[in-house]
Amino acid sequence: MTKLETKGIVKFFKHESHQLTALGGVDLNVEDGDFVCLVGPSGCGKSTFLRIIAGLEQPDEGQVLFDGKPVTSTGPERIMVFQEGALFPWLKVQDNVEFGLKMAGIPKDERAQISQRYLDMMQLTKFSNSFIYQLSTGMKQRVAIARALVMDPDVLLMDEPFAALDAQTRDLLLVEMQLIWEKTKKTILFVTHNVAEAAVLGTKVAVFSNRPSKIKKLIPVDFKRPRLTEDENLLGIQQEILSELRPEVKKSK
Amino acid sequence: MKKNILVKKIMFYIILVIIWQAISMSDIWPNNIFPSPYEVGEDLAYMIADGSLFFGIGTTLMRLIIGLAIAIAGGVTLGIFMAKIETVNQTIGSLVLGLQSIPSIAWVPLALLWVGPYDGGIIFVTVIGAMFAVTINTYTGVKNIDPHYVEAARNMGAKGTQLIANVLIPAAFPYMISGFKQGWAFAWRGVIGAELLFSFLGVGFLLNVGRQIHDVSQVIAIMFVIMLIGMAVDGFIFKKIENKVMSRWGLR
Repeated sequence: MTKLETKGIVKFFKHESHQLTALGGVDLNVEDGDFVCLVGPSGCGKSTFLRIIAGLEQPDEGQVLFDGKPVTSTGPERIMVFQEGALFPWLKVQDNVEFGLKMAGIPKDERAQISQRYLDMMQLTKFSNSFIYQLSTGMKQRVAIARALVMDPDVLLMDEPFAALDAQTRDLLLVEMQLIWEKTKKTILFVTHNVAEAAVLGTKVAVFSNRPSKIKKLIPVDFKRPRLTEDENLLGIQQEILSELRPEVKKSK
Repeated sequence: MKKNILVKKIMFYIILVIIWQAISMSDIWPNNIFPSPYEVGEDLAYMIADGSLFFGIGTTLMRLIIGLAIAIAGGVTLGIFMAKIETVNQTIGSLVLGLQSIPSIAWVPLALLWVGPYDGGIIFVTVIGAMFAVTINTYTGVKNIDPHYVEAARNMGAKGTQLIANVLIPAAFPYMISGFKQGWAFAWRGVIGAELLFSFLGVGFLLNVGRQIHDVSQVIAIMFVIMLIGMAVDGFIFKKIENKVMSRWGLR
């Protein structure tokens, strides 16, 4: 069943005095429960595409359909996880995780119950009373993911959430992310510039072309999970992604 | 290390008092012009004993707290409006910058004419003196909020006053606290200045009485009190709040 559909998304950008077309008509169909990784040359607008789906930006042309209905603004069914986490430094970890529940007017006791479940899932229980600056980058991303999952969204939109992590922490989170996806059955759109990451996580990998970007190829990835970055089976997929990506990166230079 | 600094400070003040005592004993100036530290202390003790000092401090602090509370409420509201609505910034914002440059004491004649020589007039001067510093710092704070905070909050369903109370104000708070500090400093100057000119109870009034009866040691004693209250508010109240905020954010 189609969960999310984008039809001919176009987005212009002002660069100095002239106008650039960042997104040149992006069509994408995301099935319920898909884990779609978006890769593309830097500056191709894949993050903007994600922001448009979140409703944080409006497309200049085209539209986003969620369950068949057009998206016009942000909504709790589409939750974004930002690259730097965008966690609130004035709140403790637990209060960060409960933020959306508080906004929804859910009483304190109930909030604590719900957040506890996700703090456990993300192995954050020990840190629930910490402030954000006390956490490592990896811990911060765990909090950001927990804060998003608490909202119980249909779609999780992740904008290079692991870009700033060291290799070991990333490997750990790549495995956990797969477990979370299997456990929660969320539909996930995941922007990354890391081809190995895309191959490990995705059920599909969408390769963006250079500007004006479209989706050049949608590559299905069918291997059993949990997959590891060093899986030899994935090398073929990585090569396939790279062979699509390389000419686009060259064009963008 | 810290103990060392404290010892240095105490030594400094002891030496200062000794020099003061020595000058007052040297007969360069007569005692009614340059009193000794002992005489100042004596006057302070009198004012404490007859209750006039505490009544004066109480009156002044009451005016200050009311004035500062109004200034903070008004300044924060105005600052948020300026940061969020560009037209407000371009119009009222420019006026705020202009008004900010008027020393609060210059509002005294207007306060006397409009409100009269009562508590209300002094509070008026205090509010006007403090509000624009709070406004400008709140504006800067809200303008400097990481846009991702607001986006994330909106995405999680925060809107309107919820967004203001749960994101804009806490996110801008490190800036706002320096606005409160400046606001308090202006309010403190404003309230004492206004009391001097209004001559209607309070610490500034006691200062003026000292001048009228040519009691230099009372004048100096009151000035000590003004300094001590100022240091106490800075050092205890604002320093505490600031440290708490900064440590939460991991900025210190």
